[in-house]
Amino acid sequence: MQIEADIYLERPNGFSIEASLKITDGGVTALYGPSGSGKSTILRLIAGLERGGNNDRIKIKAGDDVWHDEERFVPVHRRGIGFVFQQHQLFPHLTVRGNLDYAIKRRHTDNGIDIAQISDWLALDSLMSKPIQQLSGGEAQRASIARVLLSGARCILMDEPLGSIDQMARARILPYLDRLHRNLQLPFVYVSHSLEEINYLADQLYLLDEGRIKASGSMFELGSSLELNLGSGEDAAAVIECVLAGHETDYNLTQLEFEGTRLFVTTRHQKPGSVLRVRIPARDVSIVLSPPERTSILNVIRTTVEEIETPSDNPGVLVRLAIGRQHILARITRKSLDKLGLKKGQSVYAQIKSIALLSDYED
Amino acid sequence: MEHQDLIAVWLTFKLAFATTVVLLVLGTPLAWWLARTRHPVKVFVEPLVALPIILPPTVIGFYLLIAFAPNGIIGSWWITLTGSPLAFTFNALVIGSVIYSLPFYVQPLQVAFENVQQSILDAAATLGATPADRFFSLVIPLCRRGFITASCLAFAHTVGEFGIVLMIGGNIAGETRVLSIALFDHVESMQYQRAHILAAGLLGFSFLLLLAVYTLNRRWQFGTTVNADRS
Repeated sequence: MQIEADIYLERPNGFSIEASLKITDGGVTALYGPSGSGKSTILRLIAGLERGGNNDRIKIKAGDDVWHDEERFVPVHRRGIGFVFQQHQLFPHLTVRGNLDYAIKRRHTDNGIDIAQISDWLALDSLMSKPIQQLSGGEAQRASIARVLLSGARCILMDEPLGSIDQMARARILPYLDRLHRNLQLPFVYVSHSLEEINYLADQLYLLDEGRIKASGSMFELGSSLELNLGSGEDAAAVIECVLAGHETDYNLTQLEFEGTRLFVTTRHQKPGSVLRVRIPARDVSIVLSPPERTSILNVIRTTVEEIETPSDNPGVLVRLAIGRQHILARITRKSLDKLGLKKGQSVYAQIKSIALLSDYED
Repeated sequence: MEHQDLIAVWLTFKLAFATTVVLLVLGTPLAWWLARTRHPVKVFVEPLVALPIILPPTVIGFYLLIAFAPNGIIGSWWITLTGSPLAFTFNALVIGSVIYSLPFYVQPLQVAFENVQQSILDAAATLGATPADRFFSLVIPLCRRGFITASCLAFAHTVGEFGIVLMIGGNIAGETRVLSIALFDHVESMQYQRAHILAAGLLGFSFLLLLAVYTLNRRWQFGTTVNADRS
């Protein structure tokens, strides 16, 4: 199911949204932007939880069905969507199991997912008979995600689903979410203001600011764009997707492969062939013109300079390096930039000191 | 207790029961509407519902008496509908009691309904629950305390009704002579012994009912759900 949304909406307080989105099957489309950028409102309009005022022009189409236009408004309960809210919204008078049964009893379509499978994916077995009040934030959110999946939704909308739970629980849920969208061929729309979550989950990205779409496209492309500079300043980082190639158990290392090159990281427990995302902070990447012969740094890869940030008053500049179709960022000083005489298209070597974070969620 | 008084007690409970049932059917949608609507007319409906709390029952009774008269608005309509007059009948008492006890039913229920987070109803809607389904599967179980409180208050309040009954029901044994009227009669005719029995009985009953309501309220606390902030 493909969802198309054309939204023009104005609030009495002057805030307005003007946005066109296309959400395709399979993969995660993320709406990313600061608080008040209109991302949640867009998601709620798609769901039918909001319908805008009389002067707003809203058109939502799902496949060939019109959900919302001047004449028609399909109510939420007939859209066949699943919605994960920031707060879990479990029904407090039922147990976890009761909440799941509520969804099964009313399921939109039979998507072949059964309660045993979901309970396994989201580790809910021991929670089934618990009252909602006894769940931790992370457990409750997992149960609410399970409830949405069991509703047989044809697309899944998530509104900051990890926004109200602590960092530890968030790190534990992210891999579950990741596994879900890999297992289910459904369109996922994910609203967040956390770059970390976006890096981990998103395939497509809509960048929102003050109700307008600032940029859209592949997360990997936008994530390493110098112009957008998503991980602004010192936090700049690029995300690459790798395949686990093998383990070097003697050294407690794992080999990852991407675009024909190899990277070493500390041991992962996944099987060879698994797809992993890693985040490489720009400040941990340095550039050398020829391959260093003796260095303690394991990961040295051949790259092409694709773009250099226009130097400003800052001591550092960001350089975008291409490896095949993927990109990494390097932060170097302006002095080094001049000393090396880097130019666009030049072939250089990137020394990567740390590869981190995203895959570290899985423990 | 003498036979006449037993009939009065029975009649009182019959009236309170009938009133509560009518309120359950009519008051519930009204309370739901008041809890959810943003319609400007709500500003007028809310005080209208609350009026019986502050108005002397005799005022309501007086207007109802006029309306219930065979040539009154409701009375004449009642005659065409049923063939018999309305004033000074049990049915008149039920209608009067429904109006008189309306705030005691609607207000606690409205508060309970207002405490049901819209977001939890939204969640049910995304799971495919129709509006009616949401009401029966979520609102009613989540508001059972509200229902119990509202019904008990309406019931107890009707049991203690006096002024309206006096105006529109009169004092017909077995038809409109309820407990409070019988008590008044006994005092008038200096039969303090019989008055004591009725008064103490009513006092004890009212206390036990309220005790039950408060106890249940304490036992049935659900965790509160917080509304999500939207960005």
